[in-house]
Amino acid sequence: MNPAPAIARPPGPRFEAGAEVESFYHLVGCDLSRRRCEGTACFVAQNALGGAPVLPAPGEPRIACLGRCFEAPVIGLDRARPRIEVQAREGVVLSRLARGLDAGLAAYQSAGGGTALAQALRGQPSAVIEAVIASELRGRGGAAFPTGRKWSAVAAAPTPDTRWIVANADEGDAGAYIDRFILEGDPHALIEGLTLAAFAVGASRGIIYLRHEYPYAQQVLEQALAEARAAGWLGGSIRGRDFAFEIEVFVGHGSYICGEETALLHSLAGQRPEPTIRPPYAASRGYLGRPTLVSNVETFATVPWIVERGGEAYRALGFSQSRGTKALSLNSLFVRPGLYEVEFGLPLRRIVEELGGGLRSGSLKGVIVGGPLAGIVPPHLLDTPLGFEELHAIGAAVGHGGVIAFDHSTSIAALVHHVLSFGASESCGKCTPCRLGTRRLEEIFARAAGLAEGPGTTRAEVEELIAVLRQASLCGHGVGLGDFAASALRYFGKELDACWP
Amino acid sequence: MLAVTINGARQQFPAGTTILAAAQQLGLEIPTLCHDDRLQPNGACRLCVVEVAGWNRFATACSTELTDGMEIRTASPAVEDARRTMLRLLAADYPPAACEEAPEKPLHRWFREYQISPSGDGARPCFRDAAHPYLHVDMAQCINCSRCVRICDEVQGQFVWRAWNRGAETRILPNAAACLTESDCVSCGACADTCPTGAIQDVSERVHGAAEQWTRTTCPYCGTGCEMLVGTRADRIVQVRPALDAPVNKGHLCVKGRYAFEFTHSPERVTEPMIREGEKWRAVSWTEAVIFVASRLTAILEKHGPQSIGMLGSARGTNEENYVAQKFARLVLGTNNIDCCARVCHAPTAAAMKHMLGTGAATNSFDDIEQAGGFLICGCNPTEAHPIVGARIKQAVRRGAALIVIDPRETELAQMAAVHLALRPGTNVPLLNALAHVIVEEGLADPVALQERVRDFAPFREFIREWTPERAATICGVDPARIRAAARLYAEARPTMAFHGLGMTEHVQGTEGVMALVNLALLTGNFGKPGAGVNPLRGQNNVQGSAHMGCEPGHLTGFVPIETARDAFATAWGGALSQKPGLNLMQMMDAAGRSELKALWAIGYDVAFTNPGTLQTHAALEMIELVIVQDLFFNELAHKFGHVILPAASPFEKDGTFMNSERRVQRVRRAVAPPGAALPDWKIVGDVARAMGFGSAFKYTSAEEIWDEVRQVWKAGAGMSYARLDRQGLQWPCPDETHPGTTILHTDSFPGSKTAPLVCLDYKASLDTTCAEFPFMLTTGRSLYQFNAGTMTMRTPNRELRATDTLDLSPADGAQLDLREGDTVSVRSRQGSVLLPLHLDPRVKRGEAFATFHAREIGINHLIGAGRDREVMTPEYKVVAVCIEKHEGGAVP
Repeated sequence: MNPAPAIARPPGPRFEAGAEVESFYHLVGCDLSRRRCEGTACFVAQNALGGAPVLPAPGEPRIACLGRCFEAPVIGLDRARPRIEVQAREGVVLSRLARGLDAGLAAYQSAGGGTALAQALRGQPSAVIEAVIASELRGRGGAAFPTGRKWSAVAAAPTPDTRWIVANADEGDAGAYIDRFILEGDPHALIEGLTLAAFAVGASRGIIYLRHEYPYAQQVLEQALAEARAAGWLGGSIRGRDFAFEIEVFVGHGSYICGEETALLHSLAGQRPEPTIRPPYAASRGYLGRPTLVSNVETFATVPWIVERGGEAYRALGFSQSRGTKALSLNSLFVRPGLYEVEFGLPLRRIVEELGGGLRSGSLKGVIVGGPLAGIVPPHLLDTPLGFEELHAIGAAVGHGGVIAFDHSTSIAALVHHVLSFGASESCGKCTPCRLGTRRLEEIFARAAGLAEGPGTTRAEVEELIAVLRQASLCGHGVGLGDFAASALRYFGKELDACWP
Repeated sequence: MLAVTINGARQQFPAGTTILAAAQQLGLEIPTLCHDDRLQPNGACRLCVVEVAGWNRFATACSTELTDGMEIRTASPAVEDARRTMLRLLAADYPPAACEEAPEKPLHRWFREYQISPSGDGARPCFRDAAHPYLHVDMAQCINCSRCVRICDEVQGQFVWRAWNRGAETRILPNAAACLTESDCVSCGACADTCPTGAIQDVSERVHGAAEQWTRTTCPYCGTGCEMLVGTRADRIVQVRPALDAPVNKGHLCVKGRYAFEFTHSPERVTEPMIREGEKWRAVSWTEAVIFVASRLTAILEKHGPQSIGMLGSARGTNEENYVAQKFARLVLGTNNIDCCARVCHAPTAAAMKHMLGTGAATNSFDDIEQAGGFLICGCNPTEAHPIVGARIKQAVRRGAALIVIDPRETELAQMAAVHLALRPGTNVPLLNALAHVIVEEGLADPVALQERVRDFAPFREFIREWTPERAATICGVDPARIRAAARLYAEARPTMAFHGLGMTEHVQGTEGVMALVNLALLTGNFGKPGAGVNPLRGQNNVQGSAHMGCEPGHLTGFVPIETARDAFATAWGGALSQKPGLNLMQMMDAAGRSELKALWAIGYDVAFTNPGTLQTHAALEMIELVIVQDLFFNELAHKFGHVILPAASPFEKDGTFMNSERRVQRVRRAVAPPGAALPDWKIVGDVARAMGFGSAFKYTSAEEIWDEVRQVWKAGAGMSYARLDRQGLQWPCPDETHPGTTILHTDSFPGSKTAPLVCLDYKASLDTTCAEFPFMLTTGRSLYQFNAGTMTMRTPNRELRATDTLDLSPADGAQLDLREGDTVSVRSRQGSVLLPLHLDPRVKRGEAFATFHAREIGINHLIGAGRDREVMTPEYKVVAVCIEKHEGGAVP
């Protein structure tokens, strides 16, 4: 006779997946210490250095990016910190980093950390949501969805047990290293932001989905979580209130698409991380089918400031429909690469010329703002102010906040090939345009850039492929890759026209 | 209703309608590749993109629901360009020859329509598998629509097809195996059915070509009653596909229904009547055969009287044929000696449920599965024996329904169960009593049900107090804590649906076991509402129907007791009915053994092979003067004891109706002509009736005419005309043509009473017990790939998937007996002995053994003892004490 079995298994993260799911990822068990980064910042930096392009050895996993764009090109991991400055009226997310504080709880507390949570716990959860709504904060991961609306939806979604909070720390956009340094240098801001979110929406469990490429961040986070638990900032009854919240860290296995919300949630559940059509939205049916609040690291790290100072104070920063501040990461070709927190509304020219100090390697050919899934900004459009709608109007995006400037050593055909090649290798393969269209465009631009032999094509075919990617892809991956190629065609059409037979 | 504009025209649709569904209703075809109505929308192929005014990107029609005021263009130039571009991308790596081989596959059709020529060179490495008898795999034609993966997950619940890698390197492979036959595949063929290319294809379609004609009919195998489309080409079945709108199977079939049709075209079919002459058989004309049968029967009647003749209807035959058979027995032969194989399966269920609830049939419907909060699965193995029911239960459990399984073996459902009660064979009554004890003692009973719909609770409460889980545990071998957990789950997961099979009925206490199960449903109020009830899973396509039509000695058509309906039927049929009680199958065998049964007419029923105690059965059959065998094949009965064989048409070759487990009557339609001179059973019986002077009572010219007569004598079936059944199957009671049929019985009252009684059931153990000489307890049952006597499935490529029966023994017992996988073992019971190959199976408990009963060369029924249900004489196939030894003489001869 066997003992009576447990009838129901409590839900919890399933951190194991079948071999076929593992095969989706390219960094399972991969040691990154000697790997060459093939991110876009490293690509343009390598071009500036001259010489033959460095291609990955066959069979080697492709690494992009390691979050060291300020010192590109790079090999392996390093803990060197970039220049970090607050160039806004108020420092919201980079102020402690800019002051050089360590990642410990004591330092965080001495700088006023924890005040927001203490304040929030004295009041009602709805007050936190109201503050976030009033701040007009929009998601900093790329989609720019109004954060307050998302929080309200999760709080309102019925659930038989718990709601979940998930921090998207899968900062995969080449050129962005903002979240990396928040995670490594200011983890308690994220933890406090997550805790405030949990309190606000009525969640009891949280997960930080951390990309494989940030192993130092994992160490810092685990230590910070232990400190927070020991201090009673996490756990059974937080700061004596009838409020329980626990956070776990999940480390990815190497896949850019896992930054997409639905893919990330599937990955967490041990399923194949393919994006799925919405609805259902994560807010109602997310992790394990429960209401789930997913936002990126910078978004959560912004919340304690908003709760402490009030939504209006945050809204007073920035401009137009883009309120508050945004952290930007500038690549190594700038004279002064590094992290800068700026207010929305700042013209790109000031970012490039004043903060970055212009290019060290030659004259500017273009700027990629917001990662590879957005457009290139040509020099003549640098007076565009930093803002979601304003950049969208010129075919670009704020995206994650990465700013990669490149010079004339980078050919547009090679740049588009580089991005499409990255995009094709990171496509999940679910939808036809992205699975086959990116691969076909990669081939076309390899030939255009003189990297491969083969019959040429017509601009018409290229435009057709771009149109189908932008119009018909399932998720932002295919759409964004199409946007990137479209912007190259739009602003650098003449240079590319020479490539078609 | 939502007002939308589609291609410029204003339309109205209910909320929740997708763009694709709306377009389909308007007759607009939007190309799709990854969509299948059986699956959740996936939005992967993107071929169904449409333009929606105000949207900055296209919408996928398959996944986008209409919103009020939406303006949609389904074929704008931009949309058509995008489709063409995507098809061109697919074509670049697609083998051109595939389009010519199977031009009607959806992808190939879209290539044609968009004038795109595939130009793949086949260089892409991909999975190919030509080793499976039914499924041909060539993933060079895979376009990553993932329909195979999703249908295997979402419909069958088998998780065989898995996607590996990502992006353009994504490959679909069977789980952890080099080929399908080594994977977890159960050969249901859902993947081939949904595949929009030739990547996964039915072998039969490749061998025989695409079907030219499709005939909708009902599956000839188990009692689930799946509807299917039989594809034929030049009067040959080339493919079977599930009917997408079938209420029972909803576009799904199992390996038997979908693939095991080859028996129809077997060269072993009997194609002309034959009469035995000594050791030889002589082919004769129908005229001679009919005269032979009629004159021999007449002679025996004159000499020995009507009680000397027995007749067996067929659970494989239609309702109409069974009606005609029992009418023949009662009217022409003047005897009530008419039975069918319900005797050896669910006769205890019919008796128990009729006694307690007033109707001896399933209380609920398969459509209740999705509404149930939990399941109590007793003595049945649906994923093998009723695979479509099994798949539906699996999906419900995946969605969170509670599952309790009572079975000696760790069946597939037991592996998924929250609680598995692995009882000793033959101890259902004490186990179910203990469950009732916990429900009563812990206050888990439904007070409203007890007050309004249940009687005799007070004596039952007294009685059940003694049946503690601890007491039951000593008999059943089940941990009392598990019994408590199961009882709580059954009561708390309400509505809870009970399914049971022959593990409940084929016992000395079979009827009592079912009554004990009904007690649980009554106590917890699990009756008369959706997602609840007591539901026997009937083993054969029409075993419910054959008994219900009157192939049952004590009951006439409609399962009315003969005592109450004799006169009415005499009037309807124009002749008197015998006053003498009829013999059932087991009593016929007993009578034969005493030389009292002189003639036996067995329609589609190989009693020589399937009855218990084969040697004893054969000795009895030997005594019968005239054995008339009416069958598709020379079965064991014909070979050894037959005097005349009458070639019958298969279910694919005739019209009629079957009645499934949930009381649903569904149409059977002729898809191909019978071979040679074979005829539908009703015609054969009618011809003999005419030859015996009863022409006027049997002047049927079609199955429908018979059915219309059935509807006149069976009030609860009166509303089920062919005109209605041709549109959709109906569940009785259905008393008139405006009645929608009855999906759930006993909603407000039981037949004849507002309340149903609880019954106190003492336990009387089976007589066959283990001892030093016979230390193992054997149970027998069905496997996924074979069906009952093997008459049909053994004549199909299912043989390649499971060639023969095995003796399944726990690896620990195998090691103790020094036996290895595949060894030939000699199994001996008090009744007889057989040789068969050993299979070490961890699902079997120590001290027990399991064997299937399909293989003629093995004949497991030699072992079955003489135990019979005390009420209805169903043999105890499930409790046989045996000894197992290694057979040194080599393989099974």
